[in-house]
Amino acid sequence: MSDLARVEGEQQGTLCLVRVHGEIDLSNAQEVSSAIGSVMGRESRRLVVDLSNITYLDSAGVALLLRLAERLQTRRRQLHLVVPRGSPVRRVLVFTGLPRVIPVEARLEDALVQFDAGSPDDP
Amino acid sequence: MATRDETPKAPPDGLVHVATAHPWSYAASALVVAVAYYGSAKFGLRLALVGRNITPFWPPTGIAVAAFLLLGRSVWPGVALAAFVVNLPISTDGVAALATAAGNTLAPLVAATLLAKVGFHRRIDRLRDAAAIVFVGALLSMSISASVGAGVLVVSGVLRADDLLGAWAVWWAGDAMGVLVVTPFVLSLLPPWRQPSSAPWRPLEAALLFALIATVSPVAFGADPHLMFVVIPLLGWAAWRFQQRGAAPAALLVVLVASWAAAKGVGPFRAGTLLENMLTLQAFNATVAFCSFFFAAVVTERLHAHQALERDAAKLETRVRQRTSQLSVTNLQLRNEIVEREESSRKLVQRETQLAEAQQVAHIGSWEWLIPQNRISWSDEMYRIHGYVPQSFPPTFEMAVAQVNHGDAARIRSNVEAAIRRADDHDLPNIEYRITRPNGAERVLVGKAKMRVGPNREHLRIVGTVQDVTEGRKAEREHRIAETLQRGLLPDRLPQLPGVALAASYVPAGQDMAVGGDWYDVVELPSGHVGLAIGDVAGHGLRAASTMGQLRMALRAYALEDPSPAKVVRRLDHLVSRLLESEIVTLVYLVLDMDSGLVSFANAGHPPPLVVGSGGQTAYLEDGLGSPLGCDEPGLPVEGTFRLAPDSTLLLYTDGLVEKRGISIQEGLERLASLAADGGQDIEALCETLLRSMVEGDNADDVALLAIRPVPLTGRLLLRMPAEPRVLAPLRQTLRRWLRESDANPQVANDILLACGEVCTNVIEHAYGAEEGPLEISLDVRDGTAEVIVRDQGCWRPASGLDGGHGLPLTQELMESVELSGGPQGTVVRIRRRVSSEVLS
Repeated sequence: MSDLARVEGEQQGTLCLVRVHGEIDLSNAQEVSSAIGSVMGRESRRLVVDLSNITYLDSAGVALLLRLAERLQTRRRQLHLVVPRGSPVRRVLVFTGLPRVIPVEARLEDALVQFDAGSPDDP
Repeated sequence: MATRDETPKAPPDGLVHVATAHPWSYAASALVVAVAYYGSAKFGLRLALVGRNITPFWPPTGIAVAAFLLLGRSVWPGVALAAFVVNLPISTDGVAALATAAGNTLAPLVAATLLAKVGFHRRIDRLRDAAAIVFVGALLSMSISASVGAGVLVVSGVLRADDLLGAWAVWWAGDAMGVLVVTPFVLSLLPPWRQPSSAPWRPLEAALLFALIATVSPVAFGADPHLMFVVIPLLGWAAWRFQQRGAAPAALLVVLVASWAAAKGVGPFRAGTLLENMLTLQAFNATVAFCSFFFAAVVTERLHAHQALERDAAKLETRVRQRTSQLSVTNLQLRNEIVEREESSRKLVQRETQLAEAQQVAHIGSWEWLIPQNRISWSDEMYRIHGYVPQSFPPTFEMAVAQVNHGDAARIRSNVEAAIRRADDHDLPNIEYRITRPNGAERVLVGKAKMRVGPNREHLRIVGTVQDVTEGRKAEREHRIAETLQRGLLPDRLPQLPGVALAASYVPAGQDMAVGGDWYDVVELPSGHVGLAIGDVAGHGLRAASTMGQLRMALRAYALEDPSPAKVVRRLDHLVSRLLESEIVTLVYLVLDMDSGLVSFANAGHPPPLVVGSGGQTAYLEDGLGSPLGCDEPGLPVEGTFRLAPDSTLLLYTDGLVEKRGISIQEGLERLASLAADGGQDIEALCETLLRSMVEGDNADDVALLAIRPVPLTGRLLLRMPAEPRVLAPLRQTLRRWLRESDANPQVANDILLACGEVCTNVIEHAYGAEEGPLEISLDVRDGTAEVIVRDQGCWRPASGLDGGHGLPLTQELMESVELSGGPQGTVVRIRRRVSSEVLS
């Protein structure tokens, strides 16, 4: 993996938290996608991708997120994104209408709360 | 032969001829002679034995002879006058006096004339002079005056005829004694007085001698019994020691004393008759005169002979000395010649030895072919080159050619045949050929030869040299390969990086043909940063060049993988230790973030990079220095960081630049810093200046130099790159800097960055399909509006799938205007956005 972006994963029960640092463009979108897939355990029911430390994300990144959401959807898994207000990434997401498909929270805590509140599959 | 005591101006006999002088001086001379004659006559008459006018000793005659000898016979009137005056009172009448005076004048005149005829020396220094004055001057000439005088006495009746004989005898004896005693005395008074050999005590000796004579003589004559003979030794002394000059006065003195004694009738003359006394006196006087003159003359002659002998001996000695010195000079020349010949002979031998040694060192053999005799000779080295023991057999042409490899032998033969066809002095074509030695080894030789012909254009000989160039050819070949390899391994050109100026130089070692192991590299990293490396593999030649090539590729691979310089260097160290054993490599590797100017670096034993500020301030990056790669030592470099300000220069170099014979590395570093500080010009010019000033023509080591300087990134900018995903990140780096330096506000800058990324992504994804193609981006700011034009040479296809078709709408959302124009030559997308006075949305 090149030094353009870095992916860190953290498993908390059925919740998987993935932090992505750096930039995502056409050159590394596939890599980042694979990296996220590899850090996510089989038991993960919920995935939170924290994009707080992403400094650049273009339509290739948006496409990556959409494909990821689609893949999770087929496996009945949920995806939440964390993008702080004022982040350059937020404008891209807004302009592409992504928040209509994937829930985007401003803070990590909000994303975690969302899971707790609306998880009908939880026992 | 001239002697020193003769006066050259005087006549040969020393006579003064008063006739030629002034009349007054002649008259004076004549008068002086007359007075002297008269005075001495008066004195002589006092010694008269017979009557008044017959004396046993008549000095005037001696005076007259001396006067004629000294002054010339022309003074005779003085003599004649004085003689007349003397004789007048003692003669019977004037006629008798006149006759007597004539006789007295004639006798000295005849004496002087005869003496001149026989070559008389007035110094009486020869035996013949003594004989001349005795026999010619005295005895013969004085018979004239005796005959005339005695005759006059008889004629005038003073004497009887019977007494004539006796009177004649007395007269004759008196005149003769006058000449014998007085003339030498007067002559002895002549200059020169000092003899060349006279010692200071000689006057003393003379005084003593004459005092003795003056004392002894009267005593001897006055004593009884007769002791006359005791004066004889004194006379001998005078004659022996002072010759004529002593003998004459001594004789005069003794004769005067004897005559006085006879006149007084004392001593031996007391008892005798007149005749007896007369005889005794005359015999004594004659004895004194004879002895003195002859003895003096003999001694003088002997002295002269002795002197002549001494002179001859001296001359002989001088001649011997001259001859000896001539001989010794000749001898010396001869000896020098012998030494020179020995020296030349020694030098010849030495030169031959040196030639042989030089041939051996240079691997040059020489040969000669005497054509008429068909004899070939080889130098020792010729044998060695051909693989034989020197001078072990007589070489032949055929034998030599037999060793030559097949194709080359034909060329040698044709060269020699061509040379034989020509009848003049000329050079044969140089030829490079191969031979096989008896042991099978192949050697490469270069042959040169000359044909020499005789005066009738007949062939005399061919002389030539053969040089073994096998090693040289091998080294040349290896050098060519190594150089090619190294040139091929260094970047043939530096990447064009927007916003930085780059320059690099490589100078091979100038001293020998060695190829060094220095290298540099510039790597564009995926992050958009740039990696800069410079290194030095120890050693020269093919091996160093090859190691360097491997290291360069390894560094590129690791650099693409790892953003950390320290990690890259660590991995290289691992590689060198494992795979490139016994190689020592120094290296410095830096990563420059061109957007922020942040540099991180790691240094493995390499001379520290130099940072030159835009104001000329310099600093070496000496942090975190580790040991060279492949050292098997702990101490790998620690990563250092610093910020490279815009317009500052970072200089990387190898030790060849700062290490030089005669100066320390520290001095080299100081010199480099000071030169770099002054050279704040264009970066290419700076590199050139540094190399020109720091590297001499015969640099022992190769030198690599790499310089980088961030330069302003504003205004119109044109970027060309391949349409590949990997260019996107570096492009953003450039764009971010360009926007910042164009004073775009951060949010607008972000939007433009994103929009440009979308357009470029579209080109990369769709323009060329599976093919490769160029991507061209032009950036400009006009009237506060930034314009980005993206061109490709492919075909535009609308967004289809992978990006979900978000690219174009997003771009349109971000920018104020988006224009698309497509054609067969490609597509142009032009997007615009105001960058200043922007109101945040």
